[in-house]
Amino acid sequence: MGGLLTALNAGKTSLSTNQKSIEIVGNNIANVNTPGYSRQRAELMQIPALNFGDFFVGQGVTVSNVRRDHDIFITRQLHEKSITLGEELGRSSPMIELERIFNIADENLAAEIDRFFDSWQELTTNPSGLVERDIVIQRGQLMGDAFAEVAQEMENVRQNINNSIVAKVDDLNETINEIARLNERIQLVEISGQSANSSRDQRDLLIEGLSKTLGVQTFVDKQDQLNVHLPGGLPLVIGNYPMSIEADTSGADVVLRLNAAGSVRYLSLSDLGGEIKGMMEVRDVFLADIRDNVDKLALDVTEAINGVHTLGYGLDGVTGRNFFQDLGGVQADAARQMRVAFTDPTWVAAAGNPAAAPGDNENALLLAELETTHFVAGTSDNFDNFFSKIVATVGIEAARNNLAVGGAEDAMVQLQNLRDGFAGVSLEEEMIDLIQYQRGFQSSAKFLSTIDEMMGSLLQLKG
Amino acid sequence: MKATQGTTYRMLGNRLNDITTRLETLRKIGASGKKLNRPSDDPASIRPVLNTRKQLSNVDRYLETMGQSMDKMEATDGHLGHVENVLVRVKELAINAANGAMDDQALQVLSEQIGHMREELLDASNSTVDGKYIFAGYREDTKPFTLNPAYVPGGYDPNNSATWPYVYNGDENPTSLEIAPGERLQVNITGTDLFFGDADNDGVVDPGRVNIFATVTNMMEAVAAGDVARIESEMSVLDQGAEQNRRIRSQLGSRAARVESAMQHQEEVRIDLKQILSRYEDADAIESFNNIIQQENAFQAALNVTAKVSQLSILDFI
Repeated sequence: MGGLLTALNAGKTSLSTNQKSIEIVGNNIANVNTPGYSRQRAELMQIPALNFGDFFVGQGVTVSNVRRDHDIFITRQLHEKSITLGEELGRSSPMIELERIFNIADENLAAEIDRFFDSWQELTTNPSGLVERDIVIQRGQLMGDAFAEVAQEMENVRQNINNSIVAKVDDLNETINEIARLNERIQLVEISGQSANSSRDQRDLLIEGLSKTLGVQTFVDKQDQLNVHLPGGLPLVIGNYPMSIEADTSGADVVLRLNAAGSVRYLSLSDLGGEIKGMMEVRDVFLADIRDNVDKLALDVTEAINGVHTLGYGLDGVTGRNFFQDLGGVQADAARQMRVAFTDPTWVAAAGNPAAAPGDNENALLLAELETTHFVAGTSDNFDNFFSKIVATVGIEAARNNLAVGGAEDAMVQLQNLRDGFAGVSLEEEMIDLIQYQRGFQSSAKFLSTIDEMMGSLLQLKG
Repeated sequence: MKATQGTTYRMLGNRLNDITTRLETLRKIGASGKKLNRPSDDPASIRPVLNTRKQLSNVDRYLETMGQSMDKMEATDGHLGHVENVLVRVKELAINAANGAMDDQALQVLSEQIGHMREELLDASNSTVDGKYIFAGYREDTKPFTLNPAYVPGGYDPNNSATWPYVYNGDENPTSLEIAPGERLQVNITGTDLFFGDADNDGVVDPGRVNIFATVTNMMEAVAAGDVARIESEMSVLDQGAEQNRRIRSQLGSRAARVESAMQHQEEVRIDLKQILSRYEDADAIESFNNIIQQENAFQAALNVTAKVSQLSILDFI
């Protein structure tokens, strides 16, 4: 009897083990579409054998652990690539905006500059015409407005970047706290020898997100806890202790500061990575550069025109007047302050001689010529070419960004496929497993009914 | 390695995304007819495109300017032709007077007729286009020629403008316009140059030049006085004056020819520039529609594959 009872017991372990395995398969199937889910599998182990007379006979099977398929190499690759993707994505939307501002349609700043000089050219044919003079003033004003609009739109881009950064910070802290909590939970679960599979999956996914936005680095410490650092080495999560990031909106531009254990540190570009770095870099380096150049162009146009205009004479014979309001050589914000200095058309200095005869177009000719002969200070580009260079810079950066985003996205897809190939849920595989464990379960049941029959036979012996 | 559900659908999704994005771009190119829609489409061609557009607008302006100069030159030429006729008529009258056998009264009539001719000359010299005096230099709002009240008959001295029968109120500056990049062309004639032979307006008739007004006035006085010798000497000066008018007229004519050829040239330049611009920014229609069809086929294929994949499932076989 003893043997049969042991066999019953063994059959029971088999039933429950197969059932457990099927549960795990079921869980895998349930999570087939869960992002970041790693396929789990039951690790089966036979129950240590007992010595019966001369033989060791097994005592059945048990699930020793539930493990997840996981490859640290691929996971790290995914995190690394997320940083690149994040950085390029961060640049993407400001670049799209900038491309819109510096468009190459028929209506852009270059067209306004062309029209302004064209109006001078028109004035040369009829220097005393009040209509032509008015057109020059209007074109000048329109050009100033176009400059101001470009400057304002760039300012909007800057503000949008600032707002996006602030919006991201709340999310960031949430993620950082969650990672710390997960660290703690994993430690608690795994101290008993089990695997905290779902928590680890979740943590990997959070790190991926954090890599994308902030470009973080991670390493596992001696206590098997995942520590998270900023690219510059400043800590974000140490074990189960989270730091926090704050957005400082007091200045003109949003800056981030890290609140690490009571000490506050401002984060520079080199401390950051991912989307936030991408956005900040566009804001602080690229956009700032473009803005400088637009201001430079505005100042240069203003000064070149004023320089020649002051030498000419208005219809009223007065000389020394500025056409645009004098910016005093200050480049900062010049694009937004370009305004025609007067509204009286007779003040337009078309004449080149003190007599200021109405047919005198000498100064108008000189002014019209500036379009092609004047070079923007420190370059060998006329106004149009200088502006084309700005647009080309935007175009090159946008094209590079497009390419980089495309490349990084492709790489991400490849890596995700690689990860899925290793740790993802394949329905086919699960179905086979399902059959396998079902058959195991059925066989165990058959085995049990056989034992039962055998026991019945035994009991009938007395009969 | 295994192909999981996630991998399969991720790939299908990405593939469809790629194709639709590309299709969208191609359709945009097809619809706008331009391959250069954003700076990033081709950063290298931005500078040529903007430059060419500027040049095109400049060419339009040059053509406009030259059209106006042509009008002015034609009007001027008409007046110069008239001056020529007047001078011929004066000469005829002078020849008539020099023939002798004229009594005082007849000479008076001839002299008066020359006086009328002088008036016609004055009208021509004070002619306007668009309400502006064309022979006044920059002072287009000032009547260029008026009688000199201080004129003493017979007192004409070419070196002293105070003794001239008429004074010039304009200035010596001819109008120049830009008719091609960096090229300025004088489009009119100043009255002082044409009628006084004093191009720099310094009150002294330039060597070899003639003050036409003074000559006609002198002739008028000589005829009135019946001074045949003086009539004859003035007649040769009058010929010189007519020659001066013809020379200036032919200069004007050659300038007009220059403008005409420049206009033709600029028209050609405009066509070239449009071609250049088109090469940079216009899409090849046939090519872009071919591409669209090609992409649409690819899209259809991808959709078919996607549909097939979802039909195929292990669940149907277990």
